[in-house]
Amino acid sequence: MIELQGLTKTYAGKRVVDDVSLTLQSGEFGVLIGPSGCGKSTTLKMINRLIPLSEGRILINGDDVTQLPVEQLRRRIGYAIQSTGLFPHWSVARNVATVPQLLKWPKARIDDRVDELMTLFQLDPAEFRDKYPHQLSGGQAQRVGVARALAADPEVLLMDEPFGAVDPLTRETLQAEMRRVHAKTGKTIVFVTHDMDEALALATRIALLNGGRLVQYERPIEMLVDPADDFVREFIGQADLGLKLLSRRFVHQYQRRARLAPETGLERLDEHAWLVDAEGRPSALAGARLDDADAITRVKPEWIATPEMSMKEALSRMVWYRVTALPVVDREGRLIAEVGMPGVMGIEGDGGAIEAAP
Amino acid sequence: MSVAANRTGRLRRAAAGNLTLALLALLLVGLTLGMGQLEPLFRALFPDLSQPLYSRDSFLNLMLAHIGLVLVSSLISVSVGVAAGLFVTRPAGREFEPMVSSLAAIGQTFPPAAVLAIAVPLAGFGFTPTIIALSLYGLLPVIQNTIAGLGTVPASTREAARGNGMSALQILWRVELPLAMRVIIAGIRVSVIINIGTATIGSTVGAKSLGTPLIAGLVGNNLAYVIQGALLVGLLAIVTDLAFERLERRYSFGG
Repeated sequence: MIELQGLTKTYAGKRVVDDVSLTLQSGEFGVLIGPSGCGKSTTLKMINRLIPLSEGRILINGDDVTQLPVEQLRRRIGYAIQSTGLFPHWSVARNVATVPQLLKWPKARIDDRVDELMTLFQLDPAEFRDKYPHQLSGGQAQRVGVARALAADPEVLLMDEPFGAVDPLTRETLQAEMRRVHAKTGKTIVFVTHDMDEALALATRIALLNGGRLVQYERPIEMLVDPADDFVREFIGQADLGLKLLSRRFVHQYQRRARLAPETGLERLDEHAWLVDAEGRPSALAGARLDDADAITRVKPEWIATPEMSMKEALSRMVWYRVTALPVVDREGRLIAEVGMPGVMGIEGDGGAIEAAP
Repeated sequence: MSVAANRTGRLRRAAAGNLTLALLALLLVGLTLGMGQLEPLFRALFPDLSQPLYSRDSFLNLMLAHIGLVLVSSLISVSVGVAAGLFVTRPAGREFEPMVSSLAAIGQTFPPAAVLAIAVPLAGFGFTPTIIALSLYGLLPVIQNTIAGLGTVPASTREAARGNGMSALQILWRVELPLAMRVIIAGIRVSVIINIGTATIGSTVGAKSLGTPLIAGLVGNNLAYVIQGALLVGLLAIVTDLAFERLERRYSFGG
C-alpha cells in the first residue's frame, strides 16, 4: 500500500506538486495522468526519492520513505523509465540482474530469476541472455527494462511513461503484456502517462493532476461517467467518450448464446446462425451481414473475438468487416458464444452458450 | 544479413590490424637491437662521414630511457588528469570545471622547450625537468577527454542507475567509467603520442632519450645520427598508436 499525505514539492517558491493526498491499495494499478507540467513525474520520483519532497509524507506499507537509507529504499522499489535506461555495456541478463547483484544474491538464484523474468516477458533466455541493448528492438528493450525493475521482486513498481517512445502498435502489445504481468504478479504499480487511452487500458485507479493539484482520484469507469469538473471532462475528451467506455468493457461480460445453423434451409433463417467445422471452430456465418442479410460469410481469423478482448476492439471489428455479430472462441479456437450489437449498447450477456440447430 | 556481414568485415579488419601491429613491433625491436648491422648501409649512403653510426650509447639503452621518460610522465599526466576530470564532474567539484579546463589549456599553449627553460633552474638538468615538462604538456588531452567521456553517459542511464539503488561510487565504477572509457583512452592515446615525440627535446637538458643521437646529429652536422634517432622515435609512436587503437575498440558498445 502506498500513501501520499499532503505531498508538496516547491521549486523556487513555485508549488509544482501541491498538497497531493491519495492511497493506493496493495495490488492496485495506479495511473498518474495529466497535461505536461502537471507534476505527475515529480510525484512519482518523490516516491523513490530521486526528487526530495518539500512537505508531506510518503508511506510504503506503513514505512516512511524518508526514514530508510536511500539506496536500500530504491532496491525495494522497481523503477522503469521511458528511454529504458538500459546499461549499454551490459548484456540483457546482466541488466536484468542489476538489483539482485546489488543485493548480493547467490549466482544460481540470480540466473534462475533472470530466466524466469525473461520467460515472463516472452523473451527466450537462450536467444536474448547474451545480447546487448543495441541489438534489441524498442519493444524488446522496454520489456528488458521492466523485467529489470521487477528482478528483486520489489514491493512496488514505479513506471515513468515507459511506453512513451515506442510505436503505437508495439505500445498496445506492451500494454497487454503489462496487464498480464500485473494480473500474474499482483504488484502495486504506479504508472505515469499523459495518454488517457493508455490509462484506461491499464489502470484500476486513475489520479488526474493539473497544475500540481490532484483533481480527481477514481476508478476508470467512474471517472468516465462522473467527471469531477469541466477540466476532467475536457481532458478525457467528450467526442469518443462512448468508445473509451467500451475500452474498459470486455467481451466475456457481454457475450451471448450463439445459434448453430441447421444442415439445410440456410436461406430461410429468420435469425443469423453459425456454421462450425468438425472440431467446433466457427467456419461461417449465415446472415448478419449489413449489406446482404441472406449471405453466408466465411469466418476470417481477423474477426474472431476472445473473452478477454475489449468491447472497443470487438466493435471495431464489427464495423470494419460489416457484420453485426462476432464469434467468441476459447483458447483452442472452438466457438463458445457470440458477441453483437446488443453488447456494444451495454446490454449484459447471458455468459454465452451454444444452441443447437432447430 | 548485414549484421553478420558487418561482423565478419570488422573481424577481418581487426585481424589485418593485428598483423600490421605485430610486424611493426617486430621491426621496432629488430632495429633497436640490430642498428649496428646497418652500418654498411649508412656508410654507403653517407660516404663523407667518418662515423656514420651513433655509438656513444647503445640504441637499446636509448630506447629504454626514452620509454622510461614517456612512461613516468604519462603515468603522472593520466593519474592527475583523470583525477582532475573526475573531480570537476562530481557535484562537489563542478564549480572548478572552468578553472581546471583553462589551466590545462594554458599548460598546453606553453611550448615544451619553454617549460624546460623554466624547469631547469628549479629542478636542475636531466630527468626531472623533462618529466615536469612532459607531464604538464600531456595533461590537457587527458583532462579534456575525461570530462567529455563522462559527459557522453546519457542522463537516462544515470537516472536508471540511481533509481535501481546504486550508490554514487557504484554508479561511477560500474556505469560511468566503463561507458566513458573509450573516450578517456583516446585522450591518453593523444597524450602518450605527443610525449613520445616531445621526449626527444629532453636531450637538450641532458636527459638520455632517443633524442640524444638526434641532437648530436644536428649539432655535429651528422645526418645519419638524425635518421637513426628519428626512425626509432617514429616507429615507437606508430606502434604505440596502433596498440591504443586496439585498446579503444574494446570499449565500444555498439554506439
